[in-house]
Amino acid sequence: MNDAAPHTNNFVVRRSIFLGLSILLTASGLLLMLNSYSGQKIFWEDYVSIGVFPLLFSQIAVGFVLAMYGFFDRLRGGDRHHLMRGAWREKEDSIPLAATAIVIPVYNEEVGRISKGIANMWRSLEKTGQLEHFDFYICSDSTDPDHWVEEECAWLSLCQRLNAFGKIFYRKRRHRINGKSGNVADFCRRWGKRYRYMIVLDADSIMIGSALVRLVRAMEANPEAGIIQTQPYMVLGHSLFRRILQFSSQVYGGLFSQGCSMAQMSSGSYWGHNAIIRVAPFIEYCDLPLLPVPDPRRRHVLSHDTVEAALMRHAGYGVWIAYEEPGSYEEGPPNLSDMLTRDRRWCAGNLQHFWFLFARGIEMGSRLQIWIGLMGYLCSPLWLIFLIAGSFGAYFRMRFLTLSADPQDLGAATSSHAGSHVGLLLGLTLTLLFLPRVLGILTTLPKAAQFGGTSRLLLSALLENLLSFFLAPVLMIFHTLFVLLTLLGWQIKWTTQNRADTGLTIKHCLALYGWLSCLGLIMCPISAYYLGNVSWWLAPILAGWILAPFLAWVTSVRRMGMLSRACGLFVTPEEVQPPPELQGLDDDDGASSAASQLWVQALLSPYVQAVHLSLVRQGTSSNGVPVQFLATLRERLIREGPQALNTKEKSRLLWDGETVFWLHQELWSRPAAQLHPSWIKLQAGCAGSPLLSHYLTTEN
Amino acid sequence: MNFLNTFELSDHAQVSELALNLLHQARELHRKDPSREPVTHAMANAQKRLGDWLAASLGEEHRSPSRIMATGYIALLLSQVHRTAPASVLASPLPEELRQALRETLLVTGPDFNISSMTPRHLDYGPMLQIARQTWHRWDAKELVIALLFWAGVYSAFYWWLSQRL
Repeated sequence: MNDAAPHTNNFVVRRSIFLGLSILLTASGLLLMLNSYSGQKIFWEDYVSIGVFPLLFSQIAVGFVLAMYGFFDRLRGGDRHHLMRGAWREKEDSIPLAATAIVIPVYNEEVGRISKGIANMWRSLEKTGQLEHFDFYICSDSTDPDHWVEEECAWLSLCQRLNAFGKIFYRKRRHRINGKSGNVADFCRRWGKRYRYMIVLDADSIMIGSALVRLVRAMEANPEAGIIQTQPYMVLGHSLFRRILQFSSQVYGGLFSQGCSMAQMSSGSYWGHNAIIRVAPFIEYCDLPLLPVPDPRRRHVLSHDTVEAALMRHAGYGVWIAYEEPGSYEEGPPNLSDMLTRDRRWCAGNLQHFWFLFARGIEMGSRLQIWIGLMGYLCSPLWLIFLIAGSFGAYFRMRFLTLSADPQDLGAATSSHAGSHVGLLLGLTLTLLFLPRVLGILTTLPKAAQFGGTSRLLLSALLENLLSFFLAPVLMIFHTLFVLLTLLGWQIKWTTQNRADTGLTIKHCLALYGWLSCLGLIMCPISAYYLGNVSWWLAPILAGWILAPFLAWVTSVRRMGMLSRACGLFVTPEEVQPPPELQGLDDDDGASSAASQLWVQALLSPYVQAVHLSLVRQGTSSNGVPVQFLATLRERLIREGPQALNTKEKSRLLWDGETVFWLHQELWSRPAAQLHPSWIKLQAGCAGSPLLSHYLTTEN
Repeated sequence: MNFLNTFELSDHAQVSELALNLLHQARELHRKDPSREPVTHAMANAQKRLGDWLAASLGEEHRSPSRIMATGYIALLLSQVHRTAPASVLASPLPEELRQALRETLLVTGPDFNISSMTPRHLDYGPMLQIARQTWHRWDAKELVIALLFWAGVYSAFYWWLSQRL
């Protein structure tokens, strides 16, 4: 355990003001809600609404207070108690660096893009003159044999082009245990002792050299810091959806991060990538415990970052958000469907965090992070319950008043007292929801030129709010489904995040969101009939549902994104002035996009095979796979062609070095009559393989 | 020919010459041993010549054929000998500067392991786990559904009765 006191003197004041304001706002909302029922008959549906309301409203209040903190912090020019603003900055350049590994876990992602990202970061680090302190580790968990072989060739190409042998390493994990967290833990077990720090990136992450160097110096100067998380900004979007996400993350995201940092200080968040980690305590304290559930298949923590941050805090080390550090980037989901795929994983992960909420020894700040993450998804079913209960309550009230002969009741219905509370509550809710956005825009206005100019910035913000307004009910329904599926125990698999702006088909959008449109269209007349004028409250939700397929489709189209770019909408500083580290990253010229069946090159091409054999550690022939099984697979491959094997079988063959070598000899030695016809074609095309042209035989 | 093309030698005439040479040798070998197909003879001969040439050029005769081939092909690729001096591929003896170029290509595939033990520490999940454990041990899914249906029925009946009275 680290005994250093990570908190500064006004930590308690900040935390208490944060909690106090959040509770005060929630209580005010609840009071207005209760008063809006004054003098009216209360139905059991109303009790449900009143029960759910504080939970929902507290989330809005917490978000609002965080944004206020961020705004206040920006007004005063930043937090002088923040770790990144310590006295060490004055003599920053004199702080020597320590050995640091840049760990990039990959999982079937586009290899060309990853390799270009690494090359750009390498060159950026080279410019700082501190390259000698950094090593890169590409830690692959790819299950697709084509990706695997391409990654190996890309690694060799990188080392050759950058003269980086002994500085950039590639490791393919044989047993893919515990997903990404297991991948990073595997790195720590094998090589962690060699490094004082590791900077964990995602496959799509980019960080500029100076930011990497500064993070290491910040850790060196602050031995009590365990994790420093940078604020990654979304970049390289082409679809409208991604460009809007980029824009909103730039305009509003920073404000919330800054507020979060100010309120939480050394109990900040860790988002799993674009962060530096002190390796020794991470190894000692942050291996994820198994969840105490009866089903062994569900004991692994899916969403590891929040728990790792909590364990790091538990060990006495600080977790900070370096919200001001420039040069940290990532790519967002290209369309609504991909965002929902990602959200389903995150939802399952965040719901698992429930167990840590009540674990002993977890710091209050960590519990708060866990709670916010948990409620981020639980809010959706609660909102749905609130809407259903509220609608039924309104219907029964109307029915009661219509049937009631008591003039007193009619008087209550039109009570200006209750009505004024409803108005106040509505005003308060809208303020809490939209004021942070307004403040985000206000703080962006001074640098409007980087966002396409003031008028375009304002128009973009307006359109972004409009889209959020219509998408919120769609997300509510899907998040509710995800929560239910998770609670029912449907297994969630960690899948590759799609980053290609290829767009969605209309058929896909109708299949995935069409039922929501139908639901919205059915609900329109029903709510109008039963609720009368009150049904107007449901109009934005029903409109979102009805428009869902259209919105999903139109925002996924690359052409719409380009059109908005041409109009100067949703422009971000990285689009106006792309840093060198981002240049060339979105050129689609990877080998994987050019061809399939790349893995057979490891059997046919002597060069590709040589790279593969060098990386697959030999001497463990058959690697636990029965020899007879391998022999059968080999013969099937030769006689029935590569398409006859499934992904698992291909991988088993590739893992065995002797088998790969034997197959190479046999495939070239056997007469054509003994080979499947596809091999003859593959042999003829072997010299023109995209692996060779893209990676191995390119001119330096 | 397809096999030789995979080496990406920049001199096509050299590839043709090598192919003819190998085919000629394969014909001779097939005459001596007709039980094997000519293509098998040609490939076995090509592989053997390549293996011997790489082993001699790298000075690694003691290693297994698969290792020699892997190291040798990478050396060939990284030294660019196949591009800059295609005529020297399979040439014996290899000029000293090319031999040196091949031997200088050292492939570092990964640093040596420096094993650490990373195991999860015990975490007390607190009172929720106690409650959950008791629940898991006591509750059977079937019984739970029956109980829920029963109480849903009771509450519905009670609600209906109340709504009739009020």
